[in-house]
Amino acid sequence: MAIVIDKSQRWRVLAAHVFLIALCAVVIFPLLMVISISLRPGNFATGKLIPDTISFEHWRFALGLPSTAADGHLVYPDLPVLRWLWNSVKVATLSATVALFLSTTAAYAFARIKFTGKKAALMGLMLMQMFPAVLALVAIHAIFDRIGNAFPLFGIDSHWALVLAYSGGIALHIWTIKGFYETIPVEIEEAAKVDGATPWQTFYLVLLPMAVPILMVIFLLAFIGAIIEYPVASVLLHQQDNLTMAVGSKMFLYDQKYLWGDFAAAAILSGLPITVVFVLAQKWMISGLTAGGIKG
Amino acid sequence: MGDLQIKSLHKSFGDVKVLQGLDLDIQDGEFVVFVGPSGCGKSTLLRCIAGLEEVTSGEIHIGGKRVDDVPPSKRGIAMVFQSYALYPHMTVAENMAFGLKLAGASKQEIAAAVDHAAEILQIQPLLDRLPKALSGGQRQRVAIGRAIVRKPGVFLFDEPLSNLDASLRVKMRVELARLHSELKTTMVYVTHDQVEAMTLAKRIVVINMGRIEQVGTPLEVYHQPSNTFVAGFIGSPKMNFMECALVSADEALATVKLSDGAVLQVRADARTKAEGEKLTLGIRPEHISASQTEAHNSLHGRVQVAERLGDTTFLYMDSASTGDTITVKTDPENTLNAGDEAHMSFPRHHCYLFDSQGQTLPRTPRVRA
Repeated sequence: MAIVIDKSQRWRVLAAHVFLIALCAVVIFPLLMVISISLRPGNFATGKLIPDTISFEHWRFALGLPSTAADGHLVYPDLPVLRWLWNSVKVATLSATVALFLSTTAAYAFARIKFTGKKAALMGLMLMQMFPAVLALVAIHAIFDRIGNAFPLFGIDSHWALVLAYSGGIALHIWTIKGFYETIPVEIEEAAKVDGATPWQTFYLVLLPMAVPILMVIFLLAFIGAIIEYPVASVLLHQQDNLTMAVGSKMFLYDQKYLWGDFAAAAILSGLPITVVFVLAQKWMISGLTAGGIKG
Repeated sequence: MGDLQIKSLHKSFGDVKVLQGLDLDIQDGEFVVFVGPSGCGKSTLLRCIAGLEEVTSGEIHIGGKRVDDVPPSKRGIAMVFQSYALYPHMTVAENMAFGLKLAGASKQEIAAAVDHAAEILQIQPLLDRLPKALSGGQRQRVAIGRAIVRKPGVFLFDEPLSNLDASLRVKMRVELARLHSELKTTMVYVTHDQVEAMTLAKRIVVINMGRIEQVGTPLEVYHQPSNTFVAGFIGSPKMNFMECALVSADEALATVKLSDGAVLQVRADARTKAEGEKLTLGIRPEHISASQTEAHNSLHGRVQVAERLGDTTFLYMDSASTGDTITVKTDPENTLNAGDEAHMSFPRHHCYLFDSQGQTLPRTPRVRA
């Protein structure tokens, strides 16, 4: 496995390692900062990386636990952080599921079925995706306001509206999955057709099981995208109880008062669902699912 | 049950005409091989029969039923692909059972069919493995097993052995022949390997540029090629061709003159052709004998290269009579070496004459003195 290397090469390897370790430190520093701030008493953005005294006041706040005020009575947090977290997880899971369903089926059509306007549709999808959602905020607000008049379930201040809005952003996912489908030899699907499978059975029983790793990647991307999304959520959600974590966190930062400590604790909390989903998805993100089907 | 008729079949991809009016009758239980150079349309023809390609016009009948509008699964066919095309996420048994499962067969039925196929192909120990844990030959066996399980009227093979290495290919070839004699089902087999075609086929269909050039038993296409294409395609090394002009013709013999004036006689009936007409003379390498002694009906040449393969020797000869190199297949004891002058004797009954359109002129029987 290891190739014999020259002596001068070893210095270069060492230098490369030093560089990489430095890079890792730079990348991981902000996270350490946030952790440090969340454990520091008071709401200060600056200070030592390792706090002198550790206080869990911000964590108690984020987790909705009461804390004792100076005069001795219990103070309950005024912001529903856990509620926001749950909202985020709910919206992200739903919209990632919907996005996955729409993009796998659409990508199958684009990869395998011949129809007129395929190329134009693909390019159109790509171009639409190039405009940031921010540019369409006014439109999105107006559209969902109108929809809400007819179907309150999908109106302003509804999580379904947010799911629907997020499900529109699947062009990139379609392209990614389509690229993966195209690496799967057509013969396998043809064999299924000869075996009597309908197009849906071919897709569901033969193609999808081979595509599990890419589907996991797409789910993860869509999930992360929904968790961290701010502009659309901020326009569609108004009531404090309905907010997602990304929108709600803004409430820690008033013009007069920056609650950096509480903000940091909430930020770490919002990273948890992503981590959990990633760890779960990783199990499925393995290569070699298509190995052996055809002559390699 | 498994007979197959193709009537004036046309297939075009856009402006490209791939199949141009094919007619073919295949009997139940026959083993028919389509051969032809790559791009000749043989695989497309097979895919049309399978229903994986729509035909542009024409008819396909399988088992007496017109099927060109019927989906693949309802045509009573099973196909084995060049790349095996196994379902990588299913075990061998699941791969073979897939078709029956979709058709709603009962568990016992499926198990019985899979066991039967596995027994025929001797793959019982592999049933629980995934395709990736199999060798190439085993994968191809599973692909064939998947076809057997369907109990088709017609088996379609699309170059099934071309991904295997040489020794395995020989083994699988023998096994396919055994399988056919065991199952007695119609088999249509596409290959560009003429050894496979010659050894497996009851009849060979030679296809070129989307047209059928000749249909016949292996020995028919070898001994009585209908034109220069078939003559050149069947046989290895390929037939030697040389341009010539007709000198005289009677009912038994035709006399032709090569470009340098050398005269040869051929057992062919060229009376329909005018004197001086341009013809092509053909002779297989294995029918020429080369030696230093002078011989009747022969050309003079010089050995360019002698390839000694042990069981046989190929001589590549230059001759003033023809621009091309003449290939001669001789016995290994032949002593001729590169640079030697030699006479190549052309037995008259082994020579072919082709007209300017490439059609074979009728050959006349050998008269024994």
